[in-house]
Amino acid sequence: MTDMSQTRINQSYGRRILRSAFSGWGARLGLAWVIILSFVAAFAPILANSMPLIASKNGDIIFPILRYISAEDVLVMSAFLVLLVLWKLRLTFSTKLWIFATLVMLAGFAGKAFVSPPKLIVYEQYRETASEYDWMVLPPIPYSAKDYLRDYGDTGLEAPLSDIKRNHIMGTDENGADVASRMIHASRIAMSIGFIATGIAMFLGIIIGGQMGYFSGKVDMLGMRLVEIFEAIPVLFLLLTFVAFFGRSIYIMMIIIGVTGWSGYARYIRAEFLKLRKQDYVQAAIASGLPLRSILFKHMLPNGIAPLLVAASFGVASAILAVATLSFLGLGLVDEPSWGQMLNQAVKSSVFNWWMAAFPGGAIFLTVFAYNLMGEALRDAIDPTVTKRED
Amino acid sequence: MNLTSPLLSIKNLQTHLQVGKKEIIKAVNDVSFDIKKGETYCLVGESGSGKSVCALSIIQLLPAGISSNPAGEILFDWRKADESHAQVDTLKLEDDELRKIRGSRIAMIFQEPMTSLNPVFSIGEQIVEALQLHNTGLSDQDAKDQTIKAMKQVQIKNAEGRFDDFPHQLSGGQRQRVMIAMALACKPDLLIADEPTTALDVTVQAEILSLMKDLQKTTGMSILFITHDLGVVAQMAHQVGVMQKGKIVEQGDVKTLLRNPKHPYTKKLLAAVPENLERPSHFKRAEKLETDHDALITVDNLKVWFPIKTGLFRRITDHVRAVDDVDLRIHKGKIMALVGESGCGKTTLGRAIVQLEAATEGSIKLAGQELVGLTPKQLRPIRPRIQIAFQDPQSSLNPRLQIVTTLTEPMSVHGIGENKEDRIERAAKVLEIMQLDRDHLWRYPHEFSGGQRQRIGLARALVVDPEFIVCDEITSALDVSVQAEILQLLLEIRQQRDLTLLFITHNIGVVEYLSDETVVMKAGKIVEQGLTADVCGNPQQEYTQKLLEAVPRLKVS
Repeated sequence: MTDMSQTRINQSYGRRILRSAFSGWGARLGLAWVIILSFVAAFAPILANSMPLIASKNGDIIFPILRYISAEDVLVMSAFLVLLVLWKLRLTFSTKLWIFATLVMLAGFAGKAFVSPPKLIVYEQYRETASEYDWMVLPPIPYSAKDYLRDYGDTGLEAPLSDIKRNHIMGTDENGADVASRMIHASRIAMSIGFIATGIAMFLGIIIGGQMGYFSGKVDMLGMRLVEIFEAIPVLFLLLTFVAFFGRSIYIMMIIIGVTGWSGYARYIRAEFLKLRKQDYVQAAIASGLPLRSILFKHMLPNGIAPLLVAASFGVASAILAVATLSFLGLGLVDEPSWGQMLNQAVKSSVFNWWMAAFPGGAIFLTVFAYNLMGEALRDAIDPTVTKRED
Repeated sequence: MNLTSPLLSIKNLQTHLQVGKKEIIKAVNDVSFDIKKGETYCLVGESGSGKSVCALSIIQLLPAGISSNPAGEILFDWRKADESHAQVDTLKLEDDELRKIRGSRIAMIFQEPMTSLNPVFSIGEQIVEALQLHNTGLSDQDAKDQTIKAMKQVQIKNAEGRFDDFPHQLSGGQRQRVMIAMALACKPDLLIADEPTTALDVTVQAEILSLMKDLQKTTGMSILFITHDLGVVAQMAHQVGVMQKGKIVEQGDVKTLLRNPKHPYTKKLLAAVPENLERPSHFKRAEKLETDHDALITVDNLKVWFPIKTGLFRRITDHVRAVDDVDLRIHKGKIMALVGESGCGKTTLGRAIVQLEAATEGSIKLAGQELVGLTPKQLRPIRPRIQIAFQDPQSSLNPRLQIVTTLTEPMSVHGIGENKEDRIERAAKVLEIMQLDRDHLWRYPHEFSGGQRQRIGLARALVVDPEFIVCDEITSALDVSVQAEILQLLLEIRQQRDLTLLFITHNIGVVEYLSDETVVMKAGKIVEQGLTADVCGNPQQEYTQKLLEAVPRLKVS
């Protein structure tokens, strides 16, 4: 008994929730897909690239791929590795967060300082000079996302595995680039847009909506007007304006989608908090003189976050779709691959090229589905009456 | 027709409810009783004893998917439209035949008058609909006339004028009258009343009960009256059946049963009624009002007004005067009872004293220190000294937190206890005082019963070592035996910790049992206050007298 109670003390609320959320197979499948996707996104340049990973030239072993890795790639890859290591370490959440932030910052600065990929990349050169190497190891998918295979002539819109000379497991797009490679590189945008935009939106929504719901009265009135103002902003036109002013930056898009998307979350949280504020246990917490932070985030938020988690899982999906829409309108990143842009190619083509629709469409579907599975599981885990029933 | 034969005869009834996939609850387990014509049969028992399920089985209102009646019969003497009689078993009747009985021969009224009327139709229309449903061919004018007659019968004043009123324009008591009028519109032989007065104030309850008695005399109907209140049983019943866990443990004539209970459960129930409840040996009620030294809580000219805002610009047009110019002195170590009917402002007053509601005007002092007008920051160190326990066991504990967190967090905020282990130890001690196990610290609120949750609610108030606790109707959602335990416990901890309590309640029996002093409130103002013995034994004000008279007492006339 004492052992059990001890372990129960040491288990923090968040850890307990996560453990019970990911005990079901649905959430595990969802998590597995997101982890695979994160891995693929983090190591995209190594997984799909026209340059050999390792090659031997005149007896020297060289790593041609290293020259083309950007500071961003270093940052993302190191972040993934740090996360993987921290996952297994037994530390408190806040120390983990600190370690993560410092290491990633260091990696970012190091990347900026020491890595300088060439501005112009000629992808064909390695295929042309392949005979110079004694031996080489190519990435699993030996084509870069922006490698249009000009040395092969017109390679546009080839069905998967239709060409005997080259191996395109997912075919090629209208410019002749390998779809599988573009899919892998596009997962970066999907992951980061989904996470960061939704993260910004949720953070703002919880802070603003929470204050509105808890204090009500004037704060609520002003907050609701702010929500209405933000809901009146057409995100697409704002993006258009910003793209015109600041160029096509993925970060600006993330921030704009996040900053304009919080109003929905704020409404959810406000409604929940208005209801919860009158609950006896919140009143009791106030009567016990607990600090506002504890009342808001310990006593009210866990009881009011359930609808938010479900909304967030859709939010990730809609952020991915928003970027796809932008690409469709020609406002997306010019040359960067994205799933939406590939779907767009499938729509625009006069012939139905199934591989152009099926793979990016399937990826969007699976990602949205995975987030939904996890959202559902989290919602159930936060509700102790549901989880306990399964024991 | 045989006059002596019972109207309804239930024989060995079993009702099983399906819970989940495999589990079956025997909600009604081998119950038999008869209801004679023109008599009232009271089914009494605590929550979960199966009394409502039993009543619903009679008219087969339980959802077919989850309920089944594996055994028993319910014989009903069915007076058909052509006045011929037939004895039928409602368990075996076809649906369309059952529909002919439901509403017209067996009518039902429910506990919650707020939700049992449809808010979008006027009350007249709803009664007319019930009438026309069972008397096809009744013209609109005739139906309206009969409706007004029925409304007059249940003593709704100005029945013609109220015909077009909507449910929200009526008070709870009036709505229950409309429900009764609707039930009686088709002249049923049996009226099933499922806790019809539980949601009502005691004075309204008294009116409804006497109305039901009068109606029974004039119409000769039988009533199956379901209640948990033994006082109401004493008022209403001819025959009583005491239910426990799906079985009738004792039944018989009301006088014999209440005076001479045979079964230990009946004895226990009767002993738990506050009128009969034994007090701890050390209990001594205050015999005179304290005037010599200062009170712990001093309330002067307190007003708590809520603005009513109307119009486009939300201008304040009027105020709800929830608490209107109240003076109160609560002395150390005393239990003060605050009684009044719903909406009189007693809860607002209690919440204002613990600073959960801002005072509009006036002063509240805790041992001489003014509390009104303090900022939240200034209030924080004072908070642990004044605590509150709430009515609703469902919402009084944070469902997401283990009991240990609920109990230790206030302690750590206020620096009580040296470290985490010490605080857990203290929390466990308080739980033990509240007669709960130490293990309960590691559970979640939903794993507890209502009574246990109320104890935990009290424990949460106690962990910060308060001087004063407001108990806001803490026993009114509980069964009488659980209430008895909590009341005895309160007297016990008051003694141990020299606590001062403000006990808010609408139950006069509890007031008489527990309190040293009593304050009676009505419409935001204090009507009468003084020693409990004086206020309850010799009330001076008309309102207090009316309130006390309305209390259903156990003594059978």
